[in-house]
Amino acid sequence: MFSALKSVFLGFARTSSQPDVLQGHMKVVSAGLRTYAVPPDFSDVVLPEKPKLKFLDKVPNLKQGKKEMKKLRDIQGPAKSSNSFCKGQYGIVALGGGYLHWGHMEMMRLTINRRIDPSTTFALWRFRAPHKPITRKGLGQRMGGGKGAIDHYVTPVKCGRLVLEVGGRVELAEVEPLLSEVAKKLPFPAKVVSRESLAALYQDQAERETNNQNPWSFERVARSNMLGIRKVLSPTDLHNHGRYAGKFFYPARV
Amino acid sequence: MAATLCGRLLPKAGWVPLTQSVRHGSKAVTRHRRPVHFLKQKLLAVTEYIPPTPAAPPAALAPRFRKIEEESTMAVLLRKDIETLFKESKMIAVVQNNAISAEDLLQLKHKLKRHNISIKFFPNQVTRSFLNNSIYSNMLPLFVGQTVIFVSKEPKVKEMLQALRHSPQMVLLGACIENTLLSYQGIVKYSKLPSMTIVQGELVGGLTMMTSQTVSMLRHHPAHLSALLQQYVKQQGSGDATNAVTNKDASTIQEAAA
Repeated sequence: MFSALKSVFLGFARTSSQPDVLQGHMKVVSAGLRTYAVPPDFSDVVLPEKPKLKFLDKVPNLKQGKKEMKKLRDIQGPAKSSNSFCKGQYGIVALGGGYLHWGHMEMMRLTINRRIDPSTTFALWRFRAPHKPITRKGLGQRMGGGKGAIDHYVTPVKCGRLVLEVGGRVELAEVEPLLSEVAKKLPFPAKVVSRESLAALYQDQAERETNNQNPWSFERVARSNMLGIRKVLSPTDLHNHGRYAGKFFYPARV
Repeated sequence: MAATLCGRLLPKAGWVPLTQSVRHGSKAVTRHRRPVHFLKQKLLAVTEYIPPTPAAPPAALAPRFRKIEEESTMAVLLRKDIETLFKESKMIAVVQNNAISAEDLLQLKHKLKRHNISIKFFPNQVTRSFLNNSIYSNMLPLFVGQTVIFVSKEPKVKEMLQALRHSPQMVLLGACIENTLLSYQGIVKYSKLPSMTIVQGELVGGLTMMTSQTVSMLRHHPAHLSALLQQYVKQQGSGDATNAVTNKDASTIQEAAA
C-alpha cells in the first residue's frame, strides 16, 4: 500500500514522465446527468363527452331490409373520403379493401375501451355501422329459387381509409401496442399511423412519383395506349396506374 | 321556345356519346388476386419504379489527402525538455528497461541520486523525433523498445556502473559521454580511466621531471658533462652514424690486437 502510494507520488513528481505512466494512476470520474425530454403540449386537447367507442348496431334500423347487389366497387381502389384525421392523433389505416363485420367492430370496441384511460384518451369510429346487406342461402338448400335472404350486414372499407382514431393526452407509444394488436385482426392489411406518419406516407408517395427514373410510367403507357395495351387494362387502371387491383393495394408501385 | 328546346335536346349530327356502357364480365371473386393478363404483367414489369441514383457522398467527391498529424502539445513539451536535457548534461546513458519493479527502481534512483544522476523516462516517439534532427542522430538505434536514459551533468560513469551492478533488469546499451558515443565496452574502459586531475597531475609531473632532470644533469660534475658533450660532438662530427660506428669498431679491434 505504502509502496503503491509512493509510486503514485513519484509518478506525479516526475518532471517529464511518460503519459501512460501518468494515466495509469488517473481515474476518470464521470458524473451522471440525466436529460429529460420536454413533454408534448396537450393544452389544446379537448376530450369529448363520451370518450369511449360507441356500440354499433348489428343491423341497421330499417323497416324492411333491401337486398343489394355485390357492388364490389365500394371496396375497390383508393378511399376518396375519410382518408385523413379529423379529431384524433393516432389511428388505424386500411391498406386494402374489405368488409368489416359486426364481430370485428365488437373486437375493436372491447379491446380499445378496456385498454384506454378514458380520463386522458378518447377513441372514435371513422366508419358507419354495418349497412351493406349480404345475402345467403340457408344451409342445405338446393340451388335456385332466387336470391337468398339477408344474412348479415357489413361495412365496406376502401384502401387508405381510417378505421378509427385515438386521441387525447397520450403519446403514440402508449396506444401503439393496443392499436397494432387490433390492426392485425382486421380482415384487410392495416397499419397504425399518427398524423405525422400518415402525412409522411403521402409525402413519400408523391416524392416517388416525381423522382421516378423510369421513363416508361404506367400512366404514360396507358394514356397513350401504346401497342394497344388498353385492350388488357381496366378503366380504373387509368386512374390507379396499377397501384390497385380490385381490393388489393400495391404500395411499391408508383 | 320550341326551337330552343329542340336545339338543346336533340343530338347534333356527328355526335359521339361521351360515356359508353361496356360490359366487363363477371368480377365477383375478391378473395384472391385475379390472374393478371400476360400483356399487363409485361406492362407492370416495364413500368416498375426506379429510384434515382443516390448522389455521391461528399467524401467521395472531395480529393483524398492524408491528414497531417498534428503533434500533440505534450509531445512538443517533452521534446523541449529532452532538448535542454541533452544540452545540459555531459553524460547521457541509454539503458534498456526490462520491467524493473517499482521498488527496485526506487532503490536505483536513490543510488543514482547520490551522485546527481537522474533517471528520465521519455516516449521513444518523442526521443526519436528529437534525435532525428539533432547532432545526436547516431544514437537513434539505441532507442528501441523500453528505454530509459540516465543523465548527469558530470560524467560519473564509474558510479553509474556501480549502481547498475545491483539491478540486472536495467541493461546499459550505450552512452554519449562528453559528446563521444560509447558502446558498453567503451563505457567500461572509460570508467577505468583515472580521473582528469590525476592525469593532469601526471602530465605536469612528467613535464617537471624533464626539467628537473636537466637541472640535475647540469648540477653533475662538469667532467661528466664535458665527456657527454664530447661524445655528442663526436657523434655529430663524424659523417654519418654508421661510419662512426664502424671506425669505433675498428679502433676497438686495433686496441684488442695491440
